[in-house]
Formats: sequence, C-alpha cells, structure tokens
Amino acid sequence: MKELFTAWLEGGSDPMESLLDISTQEDQDREARKKVSDEKIRRLRKDPAALQTVERMRKRFRKIYLAVAVVCCIMLSGFLLYTISLMPRYGEENPRAREVVERYVEQGVAETGAINIVTGMILDYRAFDTLGESHVLFTALICVMILLRIDQKNQRSGYEDYYTIRSDTYYDLSREPILPVMGRILLPCILVYGIYILLNGQNSPGGGFSGGAVIGAGMILFSAAFGMKAADRFLSVRLCSILTFVSLAFYSFAKGYVFFMGANGLENHIPKGTPGAVLSGGMILPLDLAVGCVVSVTMFGFYSLFRRGSIGMEVDYGRFSSEESKQSQ
Amino acid sequence: MGEWIRFWIVAVLLLSGVLCFVLEVIGIFRFGYVLNRMHASGIGDTMGLLLVVLALMIASGWNFVTLKLLLLILFMWLTSPTSTHFLSLVEMNTNPWLDRHVRRRIEA
Repeated sequence: MKELFTAWLEGGSDPMESLLDISTQEDQDREARKKVSDEKIRRLRKDPAALQTVERMRKRFRKIYLAVAVVCCIMLSGFLLYTISLMPRYGEENPRAREVVERYVEQGVAETGAINIVTGMILDYRAFDTLGESHVLFTALICVMILLRIDQKNQRSGYEDYYTIRSDTYYDLSREPILPVMGRILLPCILVYGIYILLNGQNSPGGGFSGGAVIGAGMILFSAAFGMKAADRFLSVRLCSILTFVSLAFYSFAKGYVFFMGANGLENHIPKGTPGAVLSGGMILPLDLAVGCVVSVTMFGFYSLFRRGSIGMEVDYGRFSSEESKQSQ
Repeated sequence: MGEWIRFWIVAVLLLSGVLCFVLEVIGIFRFGYVLNRMHASGIGDTMGLLLVVLALMIASGWNFVTLKLLLLILFMWLTSPTSTHFLSLVEMNTNPWLDRHVRRRIEA
C-alpha cells in the first residue's frame, strides 16, 4: 500500500488507472445504438420532405403551446384577482376573520378533540394546508432525487474518480470508536422522544412535523454512527417511496372523507375520544403519524442523497471498497 | 432565612454561569482560528451550562423539573464533546496549512 502510494506521489504509476476506464458490454451496446440513431438523423437531414414535415409539426406545436399557456395564465390571474377582490381593504378589520378566531378558541376542543388548539387547527380545520406542506416536502425529495441520484443509468459516467473521493470509503466515520458508543446511548432516547412528540401532538406542543424531524435526525445519527450499510438494512428507496405514497394517500383519503361528510351534513363515524388521552382527537393522531412518516423519510432522504447519491443500497459500492480493502491487507 | 440562603446561592451560581458564557462569546468572536474558537466555546458548553442549570435546579426546588434539567446537562455533556471531536477531526484532515496554527508532535 505504502509503495503504491509513494509511487503515485512521485508520478510513476497510477494505481487507479486501469480501474477507472472500464468498457463493458453495456457501454459497447450503447455506442452501437448511438451510432445507428446518428445514422438515422443524418439520413433525415438529407431528405427535404421529411424536414418540411418536422418543421410544420414544430410550428403547430409551438402555436398550441403558446395558446394553452396564455389561457392558463389568464385563468390563474383571474382567479387570484377575484379572490383578492373578496378580501377586506387594507387597514380595515375583517369581521369574518374575527369570527373564525373566536370559533377556534371557544369551540376548538369540543369540535376537534385536541387540547392543543394549534394542532386542532392545522390538522382538522385546515388539514388541506398541511397536506400541501407534506406534498411540498415530497416534491423537494423528488427534485433532489432527480438531481443527485446515482442509479444504474448514470453509474458509469465520467465522474467516477470524483465519486470515489466522495464515497464512504474516503473517510468512514463509523471507524471512529467514539460515535457508535454515543449512538448506542443517545439513539433510543432520541427515537422514543420523537415518537412521544408524534403521538402527543394533540395534547401538547408537537405533532407531525417536529416529531418527524426528531425521528429523521435520529435516523441520520444512526447512519453516521453505524455506517451506511447498517442503515441500508432497514431503509431502501423502495420502502421510502412506498411509505411516502401510503402516508400521503391515506392523508388525502381520510381527510377528504371527513371534509366530505362534514360539508354534506352527514354523521362522522370517527370517535373523538376524551380530550387529553393519547388516543383522542379523531383523525388527528393518524394524520400526525402520516405527516411524521413523510417528514422523517424526507430528512433522511436528503442526508443520504447529498452524502452518496442514493437512498438504500442501489449502487455497487463493492468494487471500490473491496479494492481498497485488498490493498490495505 | 432559608429563602434568602437559597436566593444567594442561586444568584451566585447564575452570575458565575453567565460569566462563563460571556467569556465564551468573547473567545468565539476574538479568536481567529477554528480550534481556538472551539476551545473557547467549550467553556460555556460545560461549565456555564452546569452552573446555570444547577442554579435553575436549586431555584425550582425538588420536583419533576429537576430531573428534566439533569437530563439536559447529561445530553449536552454527551453530545457536545462528540461533535467537537468530529469538528476538530475534520479540521485536522482537511486543512492543508494546519502547521501554521498547530504544533504537532510527529510520532515516530
């Protein structure tokens, strides 16, 4: 190992040279396919009739696109202006808003079953607002995935040397003796505390977002303390997407059901329970759990994607790590 | 009389804790190098926290809040040295001009 390193330092030989430019059967296939498609494009360019057709279609598409965009913009701005025209003028008191506040403060506990009025508001009266916030987190996770995820398609790109530097084997935190010990002491407390915040959202300050953030932080600490491989055993990208989807779908359907029943004056069959108990507040507790799932998965997903470009075990890390361990042995 | 003794104990502990925090803040803003700053911030994280929380524990009396404050000290004393350790580790591993600031004993 040391000789190799000194040789590399002197500029003699590069130990990674043969490793970095591997041309597999897959790459050759891709090259061949690209050649065929290039040939097709070249032939099309020589054909004036085909070129004209393409040009005409492009013009038509642009016209339709422009028309649809203008109509959408006009409709959207019309909606917004109409909504603004319904609002009270600047500086005037809004009588309807005061009614709403009084209603929330006076009858919030009786109507939602939650002692914490804030939770009663965000998860019962204005639950669709919270649903939108959860979707914002979900969308952010998707965007980060699109930008940073390393999967089968771009695994063998030209950035492999950079990727080696950034990979877990560059400096493995879990080799430090201090962090696993601290993790063993702190992790149970953090996770239990997060679950407590999640389950107690309707009775005390807390709820889905804060509890989910605490649990997500615990998961990040877990993966930092015990290595990414240990974290891969319980969270894969598949489990992440299933968890997020099930949470958001459950939230939408449950709250849609409650709103539909309430708006039509039908009886709501979900029991409210006694205010103050853990199992109280009707739909608030399950909705809190759903939001907590989404938030924790998003937090851990951000960490994992920014650290190594994937959630769970998707990429073959074995190649580099096994090479390094062979060399060190 | 007992109330007065308690008040003075609390006042002395609280003031000395605040003094520690003041020293910490001055150190963080006056020192130029990261390891020096971490050294200064350690004063508040350990001694300042202990003194202030001890004062609060005495002020609140013997009840459930005391246990929570004790847990606060425990958690801070467990987590803050760990994070400090890793911060200094990152500084040592990534700063190429470390020898301008630090005198290292090179082990044979």
